[in-house]
Amino acid sequence: MRVEYINPFVEAAYNILREVLSEEVKRGILYLKSSTNPVKGVAAIVGLAGEVEGRVLFDMTKSTALKIASKMNDEDLLDWDDLARATITELANLITAQAVTKLHDLGFRFDLTPPALITGENMEMYDDYKDETETLIVPMETSFGPVEINVAIRERNRN
Amino acid sequence: MKTKSDFPNLNERKPDGVKDDGTPYRVLVVDDSVFVTKQITQILASEGFEVVATAADGEEALNTYKDKYPNIDLVTMDITMPKMDGVTCLEKIMEFDKNAKVVMISALGKQELVKRSLLLGAKNYIVKPLDRKKVLERVVTSLE
Repeated sequence: MRVEYINPFVEAAYNILREVLSEEVKRGILYLKSSTNPVKGVAAIVGLAGEVEGRVLFDMTKSTALKIASKMNDEDLLDWDDLARATITELANLITAQAVTKLHDLGFRFDLTPPALITGENMEMYDDYKDETETLIVPMETSFGPVEINVAIRERNRN
Repeated sequence: MKTKSDFPNLNERKPDGVKDDGTPYRVLVVDDSVFVTKQITQILASEGFEVVATAADGEEALNTYKDKYPNIDLVTMDITMPKMDGVTCLEKIMEFDKNAKVVMISALGKQELVKRSLLLGAKNYIVKPLDRKKVLERVVTSLE
Protein backbone atom coordinates (compact mmCIF):
# COMPACT_ATOMS: atom_id res chain seq x y z
CA MET A 1 0.00 0.00 0.00
CA ARG A 2 1.39 3.40 -0.94
CA VAL A 3 2.43 5.58 1.97
CA GLU A 4 0.37 8.51 0.56
CA TYR A 5 -2.78 6.58 1.37
CA ILE A 6 -1.75 5.69 4.89
CA ASN A 7 -0.75 8.95 6.52
CA PRO A 8 -4.07 10.78 6.03
CA PHE A 9 -5.90 7.96 7.84
CA VAL A 10 -3.39 7.86 10.69
CA GLU A 11 -3.51 11.66 11.11
CA ALA A 12 -7.29 11.87 10.80
CA ALA A 13 -7.89 9.07 13.33
CA TYR A 14 -5.52 10.70 15.80
CA ASN A 15 -6.95 14.23 15.33
CA ILE A 16 -10.62 13.28 15.42
CA LEU A 17 -10.35 10.90 18.40
CA ARG A 18 -8.43 13.52 20.36
CA GLU A 19 -11.02 16.17 19.52
CA VAL A 20 -14.22 14.22 20.19
CA LEU A 21 -12.89 12.47 23.31
CA SER A 22 -11.21 15.64 24.65
CA GLU A 23 -8.16 13.65 25.74
CA GLU A 24 -4.72 12.61 24.59
CA VAL A 25 -4.79 9.54 22.40
CA LYS A 26 -1.80 7.24 22.04
CA ARG A 27 -0.85 6.02 18.60
CA GLY A 28 0.31 2.41 18.59
CA ILE A 29 2.80 0.95 16.13
CA LEU A 30 1.31 0.47 12.66
CA TYR A 31 1.53 -2.98 11.18
CA LEU A 32 0.57 -4.74 7.97
CA LYS A 33 -1.46 -7.89 7.82
CA SER A 34 -2.34 -10.08 4.88
CA SER A 35 -4.45 -12.77 6.56
CA THR A 36 -8.00 -12.53 7.92
CA ASN A 37 -8.60 -10.06 10.72
CA PRO A 38 -10.60 -10.80 13.85
CA VAL A 39 -13.25 -8.16 14.66
CA LYS A 40 -13.63 -7.15 18.28
CA GLY A 41 -17.41 -6.76 18.48
CA VAL A 42 -18.40 -3.47 16.84
CA ALA A 43 -17.14 -2.63 13.37
CA ALA A 44 -18.00 0.41 11.27
CA ILE A 45 -17.10 -0.03 7.61
CA VAL A 46 -16.71 2.73 5.02
CA GLY A 47 -16.14 1.84 1.37
CA LEU A 48 -14.00 3.87 -1.06
CA ALA A 49 -14.58 3.83 -4.80
CA GLY A 50 -12.89 5.80 -7.58
CA GLU A 51 -9.24 6.10 -8.62
CA VAL A 52 -8.48 4.09 -5.49
CA GLU A 53 -10.79 1.53 -3.99
CA GLY A 54 -11.08 -0.49 -0.83
CA ARG A 55 -12.48 -0.11 2.62
CA VAL A 56 -11.71 1.26 6.06
CA LEU A 57 -12.93 -0.57 9.15
CA PHE A 58 -13.14 0.90 12.64
CA ASP A 59 -13.00 -1.86 15.19
CA MET A 60 -13.61 -1.83 18.96
CA THR A 61 -15.37 -3.82 21.69
CA LYS A 62 -19.01 -3.02 22.42
CA SER A 63 -18.00 -1.79 25.88
CA THR A 64 -15.50 0.68 24.34
CA ALA A 65 -18.07 1.74 21.74
CA LEU A 66 -20.65 2.50 24.44
CA LYS A 67 -18.13 4.47 26.51
CA ILE A 68 -17.04 6.50 23.46
CA ALA A 69 -20.66 7.12 22.42
CA SER A 70 -21.45 8.27 25.99
CA LYS A 71 -18.54 10.69 25.95
CA MET A 72 -19.50 12.09 22.53
CA ASN A 73 -23.11 12.59 23.69
CA ASP A 74 -22.11 13.97 27.06
CA GLU A 75 -24.50 11.53 28.76
CA ASP A 76 -24.33 7.93 29.98
CA LEU A 77 -25.62 5.62 27.29
CA LEU A 78 -26.35 2.28 28.91
CA ASP A 79 -27.83 0.43 25.94
CA TRP A 80 -26.56 -0.25 22.46
CA ASP A 81 -29.46 1.67 20.94
CA ASP A 82 -30.01 3.80 17.82
CA LEU A 83 -28.27 6.83 19.33
CA ALA A 84 -25.19 4.79 20.33
CA ARG A 85 -25.06 3.21 16.86
CA ALA A 86 -25.47 6.59 15.13
CA THR A 87 -22.69 8.05 17.26
CA ILE A 88 -20.13 5.36 16.38
CA THR A 89 -21.18 5.57 12.73
CA GLU A 90 -20.58 9.31 12.84
CA LEU A 91 -17.15 8.78 14.41
CA ALA A 92 -16.22 6.52 11.46
CA ASN A 93 -17.64 9.10 9.08
CA LEU A 94 -15.65 11.96 10.65
CA ILE A 95 -12.31 10.11 10.48
CA THR A 96 -12.81 8.85 6.93
CA ALA A 97 -14.08 12.19 5.63
CA GLN A 98 -11.08 14.06 7.05
CA ALA A 99 -8.69 11.52 5.50
CA VAL A 100 -10.48 11.68 2.16
CA THR A 101 -10.35 15.48 2.18
CA LYS A 102 -6.56 15.25 2.60
CA LEU A 103 -6.28 12.64 -0.16
CA HIS A 104 -8.36 14.85 -2.47
CA ASP A 105 -5.95 17.70 -1.79
CA LEU A 106 -3.16 15.34 -2.91
CA GLY A 107 -4.99 14.72 -6.18
CA PHE A 108 -6.69 11.37 -5.58
CA ARG A 109 -10.31 11.24 -6.72
CA PHE A 110 -12.82 8.86 -5.17
CA ASP A 111 -16.08 8.75 -3.24
CA LEU A 112 -17.15 7.25 0.06
CA THR A 113 -20.02 4.96 0.84
CA PRO A 114 -22.11 5.76 3.92
CA PRO A 115 -20.72 3.87 6.95
CA ALA A 116 -22.27 0.49 7.76
CA LEU A 117 -22.17 -0.82 11.31
CA ILE A 118 -21.74 -4.51 12.11
CA THR A 119 -21.97 -5.96 15.61
CA GLY A 120 -21.50 -9.51 16.84
CA GLU A 121 -19.16 -11.99 18.48
CA ASN A 122 -16.38 -14.06 16.90
CA MET A 123 -16.42 -12.21 13.57
CA GLU A 124 -13.62 -12.11 11.02
CA MET A 125 -12.91 -9.69 8.18
CA TYR A 126 -11.59 -11.15 4.95
CA ASP A 127 -10.57 -9.15 1.87
CA ASP A 128 -10.28 -11.06 -1.36
CA TYR A 129 -7.58 -8.83 -2.75
CA LYS A 130 -4.99 -11.66 -2.84
CA ASP A 131 -1.49 -10.22 -3.04
CA GLU A 132 -2.55 -6.82 -4.35
CA THR A 133 -3.42 -5.31 -1.04
CA GLU A 134 -2.29 -5.75 2.49
CA THR A 135 -4.34 -4.53 5.40
CA LEU A 136 -2.79 -1.80 7.47
CA ILE A 137 -3.75 -1.73 11.14
CA VAL A 138 -3.60 1.65 12.88
CA PRO A 139 -3.96 0.99 16.63
CA MET A 140 -5.16 3.86 18.84
CA GLU A 141 -5.17 3.69 22.64
CA THR A 142 -7.84 5.73 24.41
CA SER A 143 -8.87 5.75 28.08
CA PHE A 144 -12.12 4.11 26.90
CA GLY A 145 -10.27 1.16 25.37
CA PRO A 146 -8.41 0.41 22.13
CA VAL A 147 -9.76 1.42 18.73
CA GLU A 148 -8.21 -0.17 15.65
CA ILE A 149 -8.45 1.44 12.25
CA ASN A 150 -8.06 -1.23 9.63
CA VAL A 151 -7.30 0.12 6.14
CA ALA A 152 -7.25 -1.89 2.89
CA ILE A 153 -6.90 0.30 -0.21
CA ARG A 154 -5.52 -0.32 -3.68
CA GLU A 155 -5.24 1.67 -6.88
CA ARG A 156 -7.98 0.80 -9.31
CA ASN A 157 -7.00 -1.43 -12.15
CA ARG A 158 -7.49 0.70 -15.25
CA ASN A 159 -7.50 -2.26 -17.69
CA MET B 1 -35.62 49.96 49.62
CA LYS B 2 -35.03 49.31 45.98
CA THR B 3 -34.24 45.74 44.97
CA LYS B 4 -32.03 44.43 42.18
CA SER B 5 -35.05 43.97 39.90
CA ASP B 6 -35.82 47.70 40.02
CA PHE B 7 -32.68 48.40 37.97
CA PRO B 8 -32.24 47.35 34.35
CA ASN B 9 -29.42 44.86 33.95
CA LEU B 10 -27.09 46.55 31.48
CA ASN B 11 -25.00 43.39 31.13
CA GLU B 12 -27.89 41.19 30.15
CA ARG B 13 -27.20 39.79 26.67
CA LYS B 14 -29.90 38.87 24.20
CA PRO B 15 -29.30 35.25 23.11
CA ASP B 16 -28.12 34.94 19.49
CA GLY B 17 -31.12 32.82 18.59
CA VAL B 18 -33.67 35.48 19.52
CA LYS B 19 -34.83 38.20 17.12
CA ASP B 20 -35.27 41.85 18.10
CA ASP B 21 -39.01 41.25 18.56
CA GLY B 22 -38.27 38.57 21.17
CA THR B 23 -39.27 35.59 19.02
CA PRO B 24 -36.75 32.83 18.22
CA TYR B 25 -35.16 32.21 14.81
CA ARG B 26 -36.77 29.05 13.36
CA VAL B 27 -34.40 26.38 12.07
CA LEU B 28 -34.77 23.27 9.93
CA VAL B 29 -31.99 20.77 10.76
CA VAL B 30 -31.19 18.32 7.95
CA ASP B 31 -28.97 15.30 8.69
CA ASP B 32 -29.37 11.54 8.36
CA SER B 33 -27.62 10.90 11.69
CA VAL B 34 -29.71 11.11 14.88
CA PHE B 35 -26.48 11.85 16.73
CA VAL B 36 -25.69 14.91 14.60
CA THR B 37 -29.30 16.14 14.63
CA LYS B 38 -29.29 15.95 18.42
CA GLN B 39 -25.92 17.71 18.63
CA ILE B 40 -26.97 20.61 16.36
CA THR B 41 -30.35 20.95 18.10
CA GLN B 42 -28.67 21.16 21.52
CA ILE B 43 -26.16 23.78 20.34
CA LEU B 44 -28.87 25.95 18.75
CA ALA B 45 -31.34 25.57 21.63
CA SER B 46 -28.65 26.73 24.08
CA GLU B 47 -28.76 30.15 22.36
CA GLY B 48 -32.54 30.37 22.07
CA PHE B 49 -32.98 29.14 18.46
CA GLU B 50 -36.06 27.01 17.84
CA VAL B 51 -35.59 23.84 15.79
CA VAL B 52 -39.03 23.66 14.17
CA ALA B 53 -38.35 20.52 12.13
CA THR B 54 -35.72 17.95 11.27
CA ALA B 55 -35.26 15.94 8.07
CA ALA B 56 -33.14 12.84 7.41
CA ASP B 57 -32.65 13.24 3.65
CA GLY B 58 -32.75 15.90 0.93
CA GLU B 59 -36.20 14.98 -0.34
CA GLU B 60 -37.78 15.26 3.11
CA ALA B 61 -35.92 18.52 3.69
CA LEU B 62 -37.17 20.09 0.45
CA ASN B 63 -40.77 19.08 1.16
CA THR B 64 -40.55 20.34 4.74
CA TYR B 65 -39.08 23.67 3.60
CA LYS B 66 -41.89 24.15 1.06
CA ASP B 67 -44.59 23.11 3.57
CA LYS B 68 -43.36 25.51 6.23
CA TYR B 69 -42.44 28.40 3.92
CA PRO B 70 -42.04 31.26 4.89
CA ASN B 71 -41.72 30.13 8.49
CA ILE B 72 -38.15 28.86 8.40
CA ASP B 73 -35.36 31.39 8.97
CA LEU B 74 -32.40 29.06 8.51
CA VAL B 75 -31.54 25.55 7.30
CA THR B 76 -28.52 23.51 8.43
CA MET B 77 -27.78 21.00 5.67
CA ASP B 78 -25.72 17.79 5.73
CA ILE B 79 -24.22 16.76 2.36
CA THR B 80 -23.96 12.97 2.20
CA MET B 81 -27.52 11.71 2.65
CA PRO B 82 -29.76 9.06 1.09
CA LYS B 83 -32.41 9.80 -1.60
CA MET B 84 -31.23 13.37 -2.31
CA ASP B 85 -27.82 14.73 -1.28
CA GLY B 86 -27.43 18.08 0.48
CA VAL B 87 -25.95 19.97 -2.48
CA THR B 88 -28.87 19.01 -4.76
CA CYS B 89 -31.30 19.91 -1.99
CA LEU B 90 -29.57 23.28 -1.53
CA GLU B 91 -29.93 23.94 -5.27
CA LYS B 92 -33.64 23.10 -5.20
CA ILE B 93 -34.33 25.17 -2.09
CA MET B 94 -32.57 28.15 -3.70
CA GLU B 95 -34.66 27.71 -6.86
CA PHE B 96 -37.81 27.77 -4.71
CA ASP B 97 -36.71 30.65 -2.46
CA LYS B 98 -33.75 32.76 -3.60
CA ASN B 99 -33.58 34.38 -0.15
CA ALA B 100 -33.23 31.08 1.72
CA LYS B 101 -30.45 30.97 4.31
CA VAL B 102 -28.70 27.62 4.20
CA VAL B 103 -25.59 26.61 6.14
CA MET B 104 -23.86 23.46 4.92
CA ILE B 105 -22.51 21.13 7.63
CA SER B 106 -20.34 18.24 6.52
CA ALA B 107 -17.41 16.09 7.56
CA LEU B 108 -16.10 16.55 4.01
CA GLY B 109 -14.05 19.72 3.60
CA LYS B 110 -13.08 19.28 -0.07
CA GLN B 111 -12.47 22.67 -1.66
CA GLU B 112 -14.56 21.93 -4.75
CA LEU B 113 -17.54 21.00 -2.54
CA VAL B 114 -17.21 24.15 -0.45
CA LYS B 115 -16.90 26.32 -3.58
CA ARG B 116 -19.86 24.67 -5.30
CA SER B 117 -22.08 25.08 -2.21
CA LEU B 118 -21.21 28.76 -1.86
CA LEU B 119 -21.77 29.35 -5.60
CA LEU B 120 -25.20 27.74 -5.32
CA GLY B 121 -26.13 30.17 -2.57
CA ALA B 122 -25.15 28.59 0.75
CA LYS B 123 -24.37 31.28 3.32
CA ASN B 124 -21.68 29.31 5.06
CA TYR B 125 -19.93 25.95 5.30
CA ILE B 126 -19.01 24.20 8.55
CA VAL B 127 -16.63 21.24 8.59
CA LYS B 128 -17.32 18.68 11.32
CA PRO B 129 -16.54 17.73 14.09
CA LEU B 130 -18.92 20.35 15.46
CA ASP B 131 -17.80 22.85 17.98
CA ARG B 132 -20.44 24.96 19.74
CA LYS B 133 -18.63 28.27 19.22
CA LYS B 134 -17.90 27.60 15.54
CA VAL B 135 -21.51 26.58 14.82
CA LEU B 136 -23.03 29.61 16.55
CA GLU B 137 -20.61 32.07 14.92
CA ARG B 138 -21.35 30.77 11.40
CA VAL B 139 -25.10 30.58 11.98
CA VAL B 140 -25.28 34.11 13.33
CA THR B 141 -23.17 35.45 10.42
CA SER B 142 -25.51 33.70 7.98
CA LEU B 143 -28.55 35.42 9.44
CA GLU B 144 -27.09 38.92 9.08
